[in-house]
Amino acid sequence: MAEIEVRGLTKTFGAVTAVRDMSFTAPAGQVTGFLGPNGSGKTTTLRATLGLIRPTAGETLIGGVPYRHLAQPRRRVGALLEASGFHPGRRARNHLAVLAASCGVPGRRVDEVLDLVDLASAADRRVREFSLGMRQRLGLAAALLGDPQVLLLDEPANGLDPAGIAWLRGLLRGLAGEGRTVVVASHVLSEVAQTADHVVIVNAGELRFSGPLHELGGSGQALESAFLRLTAVPG
Amino acid sequence: MPQIRTEFRKLATIRSPWLLLAAGPVIVVAGITGLVLSGTNVHDPAAQSRAMAHVGLAAVFTLMFGILAVAGEYRHGTITDTFLSFPGRGRVIAAKLAVYGLAGAAAGLVSSAAALAVTASWWAAKGAVFHLSAAGTWPTLAGGVAANCAFALIGVGLGALIRNVAGAVALALAWIALIEGIAGQLIGPGLARWLPFYASEALDRAAIIATRLLPQWGGGLVLLGYAAVFAAAAVLVTLRRDVT
Repeated sequence: MAEIEVRGLTKTFGAVTAVRDMSFTAPAGQVTGFLGPNGSGKTTTLRATLGLIRPTAGETLIGGVPYRHLAQPRRRVGALLEASGFHPGRRARNHLAVLAASCGVPGRRVDEVLDLVDLASAADRRVREFSLGMRQRLGLAAALLGDPQVLLLDEPANGLDPAGIAWLRGLLRGLAGEGRTVVVASHVLSEVAQTADHVVIVNAGELRFSGPLHELGGSGQALESAFLRLTAVPG
Repeated sequence: MPQIRTEFRKLATIRSPWLLLAAGPVIVVAGITGLVLSGTNVHDPAAQSRAMAHVGLAAVFTLMFGILAVAGEYRHGTITDTFLSFPGRGRVIAAKLAVYGLAGAAAGLVSSAAALAVTASWWAAKGAVFHLSAAGTWPTLAGGVAANCAFALIGVGLGALIRNVAGAVALALAWIALIEGIAGQLIGPGLARWLPFYASEALDRAAIIATRLLPQWGGGLVLLGYAAVFAAAAVLVTLRRDVT
């Protein structure tokens, strides 16, 4: 079991406080929806969790250990981040082969994840020819490459068509059903209502809610009104 | 070390770095051909090492190649994946220095082979005798290979410090074309010979212009020193900086 525990996380960029004393837990075996308006600190929290930015205070533990102290981190934690990219001239299969070399997974795993995200037929094309949805699938393949117990996904449905979104929902539910910890940062509340067990809502860098989805009413409509109430500008 | 294996795999799966490295031998062939066609007396014993000195010119391309190592990853956003695989960023920079330094030296060897081949051909065409053992041939080539390696290392450090390909390339070219010349004028030849491109001249064409420069080994050490300073600064800064 590898739950994610954010403890007193604070991050300031110059005069701007992106995240202020944030604490919540994303439990193992569940899909956690991580919700908040643009600029509310979601990405900063994810990046701090992954050791990409250094917190001003606090920390995030993954199964009790900070990311930078994980042995073979890519085999423990898979991440899909919006700003992470691809070399446009590199073929999709080679993008994954580079990552496979970096985390010591065998080459056949590359073909497995290409099949899993339905990119096998495009595997030998250069990424510059890919649509947004195909890039998103390649990013998901990269996150899944190390068969990690923990997945952190920032807007994973971005660019996917309706069939892709339904497929992603099934994938995430299945991964959580295997006992994995799945965190999905998203704006698409109706989608989160169908996928998540647990919800974390942040606004202006501060935690507004953390708990089971059913406490907010469960339906997409109820989640939306709770979200709007919790993220409304005070006063 | 998986960091090194990963860097080799990255290089093997894209074309742009190889095009840069391939430009080295091309400029060497073009330069030597220009030297001959501009009327240089190929029977002059010193002409042969002047031809070999073109290998050092190719180092401008290994410098660009080195800049791509880190700055190229920032450009395409792949640096995030790299640091997710290896949270110990110091080792990532170290692996890049090892791999790019090796590739830079290898490019220098290819440029040297090109220099020998094209010089021998021109000498034969002009009826001159080409001696592998002619004075200055091997020291000049060795210096050229070392310069190709050292500038790849400097490029890695520079790219990691600036993180922007266009910015780092512009700064490097401005330094080569303008800044170092002006700085050299201001501080005088006694100090100027310690500047990086004066040092590289000492390293890769020592046999030609010796008087105002460091000895060849001194030029090599000074360049290595610059590479070490850039690398150390790159590691320090990379460890501290947020990747957003």
